[in-house]
Order: sequence, then structure tokens, then C-alpha cells
Amino acid sequence: MKKFGIGLCLSAMLFTSVAWAAELPPKKETPPDLYEGTPDWYRATYKDNVGLREGSGPFKDYFKPQMLDMYWQPNRHYEPMKNLDHSIFIEKERRDLCITCHEEATPGVVRDWRGSGHKNPKSTPYLSARTSEIEKRTNRILNEVDCFDCHADTKKKQIRMPTGEVCGECHRPQFDDFLREREMGRPNHIQSWEANTIVPWYAEAARRGYLYGQHGCDLCHSGAEKCDVCHTRHKFSAAEGRQPEACITCHMGPDHPDAESYGESKHGVIYHKEEEHFDFNRPLSEVRPGKDYRTPTCQFCHMYEKHGRFIHNPVMKGIWRMGTIPPKNLEYTSSLKDYPYGIKIIGDKIDIYSEENIAKRSYWLEVCAKCHSDRFADTYLKSLDEFMFQAHTLADRAQKIVEDLIADGYLYPSAADRDPYPLSDGIEKQLSPAFLGEPIYNAFKTLKGKFPVVGPILGVYGMFIQQQDNPSNIENMYNRLWFWYKLQGYKGTAHVQQDVSWWWGQAPMMMEFTKIQSEAARLRREGRIEKVALPK
Amino acid sequence: MFIHRISNEKDACVDEDNVFESLQWQSERRIGDMKPKVLLNRVSFWCVTAVTSAALMQSIAPVTAHEVKIPTEVTDLGKDTYKKYCSPCHGEEGKGDGPVARSMLPKPRDFTRGAYKFRTTPSGSLPTDEDIYRTISFGVPNSTMIPWDILTEEQRVSVIPVLKSFSEAFEVRKPDSPVEVGLRVRPTEKCLAEGKKIYEEKLECWKCHGIEGRGDGPSAAEQEDDFGFPIKPFDFTTGKFKGGNSPQDVYLRFTTGLNGTPMPSFAKELTDEERWCLTYYVMSLIKPEETKK
Repeated sequence: MKKFGIGLCLSAMLFTSVAWAAELPPKKETPPDLYEGTPDWYRATYKDNVGLREGSGPFKDYFKPQMLDMYWQPNRHYEPMKNLDHSIFIEKERRDLCITCHEEATPGVVRDWRGSGHKNPKSTPYLSARTSEIEKRTNRILNEVDCFDCHADTKKKQIRMPTGEVCGECHRPQFDDFLREREMGRPNHIQSWEANTIVPWYAEAARRGYLYGQHGCDLCHSGAEKCDVCHTRHKFSAAEGRQPEACITCHMGPDHPDAESYGESKHGVIYHKEEEHFDFNRPLSEVRPGKDYRTPTCQFCHMYEKHGRFIHNPVMKGIWRMGTIPPKNLEYTSSLKDYPYGIKIIGDKIDIYSEENIAKRSYWLEVCAKCHSDRFADTYLKSLDEFMFQAHTLADRAQKIVEDLIADGYLYPSAADRDPYPLSDGIEKQLSPAFLGEPIYNAFKTLKGKFPVVGPILGVYGMFIQQQDNPSNIENMYNRLWFWYKLQGYKGTAHVQQDVSWWWGQAPMMMEFTKIQSEAARLRREGRIEKVALPK
Repeated sequence: MFIHRISNEKDACVDEDNVFESLQWQSERRIGDMKPKVLLNRVSFWCVTAVTSAALMQSIAPVTAHEVKIPTEVTDLGKDTYKKYCSPCHGEEGKGDGPVARSMLPKPRDFTRGAYKFRTTPSGSLPTDEDIYRTISFGVPNSTMIPWDILTEEQRVSVIPVLKSFSEAFEVRKPDSPVEVGLRVRPTEKCLAEGKKIYEEKLECWKCHGIEGRGDGPSAAEQEDDFGFPIKPFDFTTGKFKGGNSPQDVYLRFTTGLNGTPMPSFAKELTDEERWCLTYYVMSLIKPEETKK
């Protein structure tokens, strides 16, 4: 009887897929476009192909891309192969020869693919059902997705690196969900290449001969056009994409210790110990909390959108986001009270208690409440807010010390005697008040960048590049306080890792505060001595 | 359980008594010892003996009516009971926005719309007082709405006017008369096959509920209720139907529809007999091993 039941179900499935194939409504929709809704200048500097001749973003003319950008940002930087002409194989559509040759040339790739759902898209009831949806959408029969489908540009008769726009031709719902990251603004994945090269210190470093020092930057910010970053090539396993390890190659380290804080939390430790009992073959929406996962994963928490619904991106519920942008709900003593200084391209202060953020918090609580009481979860997340309010307050106090020192003329060497803000000439030439606001743009225009820029967001350049005496020691002490230790403590607190919260977070913030106070006192003392010893 | 019982029969023909025995076993496990259950069992008994269709009809709907007196006016007892036991989830004013509602899924019912899922009345109608009483007493499986048999009968009926007071609809309209459940059709193999055909071909129920009833059909994730909340159909193969797990309960859902949700009434699309067959087919999808977890 059981077998009969299974048989019934299978045959029913078969019937329905036949019925679908018969319907095949030719649905007209616009082709997948990762840059949908972006202005022309943006598309022209991020999407339009220039090979390796030019950089990307507003400062594209100030640097050339790294070689690997062919692969990290293919729309903009991919160049056709030069050694072996592949056009004949594409022209004659010899899909078989791709495999025959690469079985020997790159056996690892072919074995990955052979073990993938793309090779056997109808091998399980689940895959069959998803495949027939795609067949219906694309109006073609898919018994296999092979090298040709992803890599053959049949118009140009060239090999291509498939961007998300290629994947989106079949996986449109996933593509559209991914596109929705734009609604939340940076940081996200879809704008990750933008964030990588829009900052002036990227081009400045290249100008000074440190382009390839930024090797890791390009690699880490390559998730904008590549869909193989979580479910890796050429296996493209959804189960792999659902495991926390899929995220940790990028989400780790001093400014976002996500891997460390999750992995060493009870959530992460229990996952590691009981991994074999976790069912990663189930889509997130089918996961039964407690049964399929005893503790949550990065994906389960972050790809939960709201009210029981999951989405194919992890950024929709972000409130404190990176941990850098100051909250609106505090009073500041430093210039942070005027943040964002009229600048249009950086995030405004975050209102933690806005209607939108209170709603987002309730979506988090929906996730937590699957395994915790609402009260425990809410109390915990309220403590996260308190940690952040106090950490931002500490950062503000530190910034006040640095800014007072500058105002009192004790910064040594002074702004007049050191290099300007990175790429100040480029900023003046390429940007405008439309980007930076009138006052800030005018400052660049009149002072040519010969002024200190301290604190979130644009003051962080010193974390990335050291120019002639710019920044100074104390500026980078403060940078570490708000861009390293505050963020470590933030992620430790948010991801329930007590040691990261304190010993990577609050405690080292205090120790930077120690250094900042001592350095300020030293500079003031030396300055006073100088006034007496070397009177003008 | 259901399937196994069937297969134990001589020639795989469904035996009515056995169907009931197995279904009662399920309802006993879930509902516990409470009065309405006993009453429902009596209903089942009547069904099995099937004296007359008239007797049947009477025993379905009014079963609680002659047992309990439901007040028409809001009383202090009603207000107190609601405040203490209902408002933490459903909110002080019945908007479904109590202090613990934010993290609950499914969301507690918003009573202000007068849209009740589980009724004996046709699609779009208000519920009868007995319908509300039944839901309070039985609870709603697959949610945090527990059976409130822990409260006295008097307390339970006292909140009914309170719930009704949250929606103006109860002032301007009367509930339509309850639908007639009528005489059950015999759940034969032929009838089950008919039900399957309806589920898979005629109405394409799998689009939302999936071919096996696991709530994983292609349109499942995008369903939304009239309150703007996602309402992905739950996996009913556990047998824990929200409106009750007797064949009458399931038949009633197909006949009345679930107001406020995308799950419509099929009173027009299907004949009474077809709805019984669909009921049996849907109940045949229950997987006993799932009920144990």
C-alpha cells in the first residue's frame, strides 16, 4: 500500500509536469539585469565592459583593475581568451566536446558538475518539481544544464563568465530576491563591488603602487555578479549554500568576526557537534526548528524575511547593519552630532526605534521565538541595543578627544604639513555637491583635501592606506576603536559570543581609549613645551 | 493509521466503522478529555449507526447549543476572562496585537474584521455563536491557540459576546444559517480515487498544498491572508487539521471555506458527494509516523 502510495504520488508528479509542459505560457518579462534601476553613469562605470583597460566606479580613470577582476566582476572586466579559440565549438554547438576535452583538461570541474543537480535535474521528486517550474518559465525542456548553457555566448561565439544575469534566466525568483538587497542599501552583496571601488582610498593606493595589496578586497567584494560564492562552482549545491561554512570565507576577521562569533557561540558549537543530524537538503522554509536544526545557522536567521517567509538574500532585517553608522537616539559631544555632514552617499543616522526598525526587530523575534521565549529573546536583543548605545557613546568620547586636539592645533604634523585626504584631486574632479553636499564638496574644492577627516564613515581611510604622515597615530587608534573593536564587540554580542563581545570588543575599545588619552596628553605636553622652547 | 487500517481489510475496501475508529483514536490523542469531544464521539456514533439523515443533521450543528447557554450581552465575567486569558495574544481590543503576538506564528486572530476561519456557515458569513464556542473549546492545532477546556463552560461562553463586540459586522449582519452536513458518503476506493482526481486535476489543490499535502506546492510560499500576513499552508499530513480532524470537520471546511484566507469554499464547484470524496482523499494523505513526532 505504501509503495502504491508512492507510485501514485510519483505518477501524479509526472502527470503534472506533463501538464505544465503542455501549458508552457510564453511569459514576457524583462531579461535579468543586476543594474536595474541604476542611473546611466553608474551603469557606464560598473557594468559596461572595459576589460582590464580601466577601473570601475567614479574614479575609474585613476586606476586599472587587478587581473582577477576578469573573474570577480565579469560584466565590467572580463576579456576573451587568447590562447585557444573556442568559437568553433560554440558555432557547431558541440556540447559534448566541452566535456570530452575538459574531462582531461580540468577533471575536477567536470566531476563537480557530474555530481551536481545541473547534470541530473530530474533525479529526485524535489529537483523534478523545481526543474519543471523552470521549464515552464523558460519555455524549454531541461534534461541537463551543461557547460554550454552557462559559458557559451552564442551571439559573440565566445566563452563567457556567467554572471548572476545568466543564472537569473532560469533562476528568476532567486535572482529577483537577490535584487531586493538594493532596497536596504549598503552594506549588501549586490552593491559589494560598488563599495569596493567607490572609496577614494582604493584608487589612491593603486596610484601609490599598492593596487595588489588590495587583492583580498576584490576577492571578498566579488559577490555582486557571482552566484557561486555561497553554493560554490561547479557543484552549485543548495545544501552547501545552507551551511554556515558557506559564509565564513568572507565573514570573518577584525571588522566583521561573524564566523568566529557564531562558530564559538552555543548556536555554532551545537551545530558543529550535531551537524550530521542537521538536514540541509530541506529548503529553509521547510526546516522544522528543533527537529531539522537544533540551533540556527547564518542562513536560517538572516534569510528569514518576516512572518514565516524566507527570501533568497540575507540583508532584509538589518538594523544596526555594520555597526559603524551612529544611532540617532544618542546625543553626541564630537562632530558626530552633525553626522552625516550633508553628505548624500553615506547612510544617515539610524533610528533604532523607528517604526521600520521596531518591525524588523519583531521579525528577528519571530525567528528567536521558534526556540526561545519571546521574553528571553527580546531581553537579549534589548541588551544588544544597550551594548551598542554605550559603545557608540564611548566612540564619541574618543572622537571628541581627537577632534579637540585638532581644533587646538596639536595634531603633529598638522594637516598643512602632511598629505591630503586620499585622492582629493579625483574627488574634486569626479564628484560634486550632488554626492557630497555643498559644504563638504566646497571644502575639497577650496582646501584641496588638506584637512583631517575623522570618524564614521569616511574617516576610515587610515585603516586601509598610510600616506605621508596621514593619518597620524592617534587617528588610527580611534579608527581601530570604532572600526575594529566596536564592531567585534557588536558581532560578539549579536551572535551570542560572550568572549568576542568583551575581550575582542569592549575591553580593547577601552585599551584604545587608554592609548588615545595618553597620546593626546603627550601631544599637548610636547606642543606646550615647543611653544616655550621655540617661540615664534 | 488510516491507510494501514484500510490495508488490513479483506479486499482493501474501506470499512466505515474502522475509519471512524481510527479517526477517533486520532482525536482522542489530540483533544484530550473534554466535554465537546465526548459529544463529538456521540456524533460519530450516530453517524455510524446512521439512523436517518435528519437525525444526523441535528446532531452536528446544534450539539453544543442545547448543552450551553451562550449570553448575548457582554458581562463582567466575559471581560475579565478575555482580559486574563485572551488579550495577551489577541490584544486588549481584539486586533490580534497583544504583547506576545509580535513573535508568534501563525499570528493570533484579529477579531475586528469579523472574519473567522472555522464555521458551519457559508463562505463570507459570520460564524454562529456555537462556532466560536467550538473553536475556543477545541483550540486550533498547529498554533498556540490551546483548547480552553481548562476554563469552565461559563467562562468560555462569556467571552463570545466580547469577541463579537470587536467587529461591527456582528451588529449589522446576522450569520447565515449553518450548512447541512447531510449523510456521509461511503469512503470506497472509487470515492477515494474521485477525491484524488479532484485534488490533483479538477481543483489542482497541489498548487498550494503539494502533491502529498505537505504544504510545499509551487504557490505555497506566496500565499497571503486578508490581514496581509503570509499564510503558507501547513503540512496537514500530521493529521492535525486546524478546524478539527473528523471527516465532518474537513468536509465542513470544503463546504464553508476559510474566511480571510486564500482557501475558498468549494460548495459551488463540487457536489456534496464530491466534497466527501475529497475529504476522504485528503485524510488518506495523513502519515501516521509524522503524528508521533
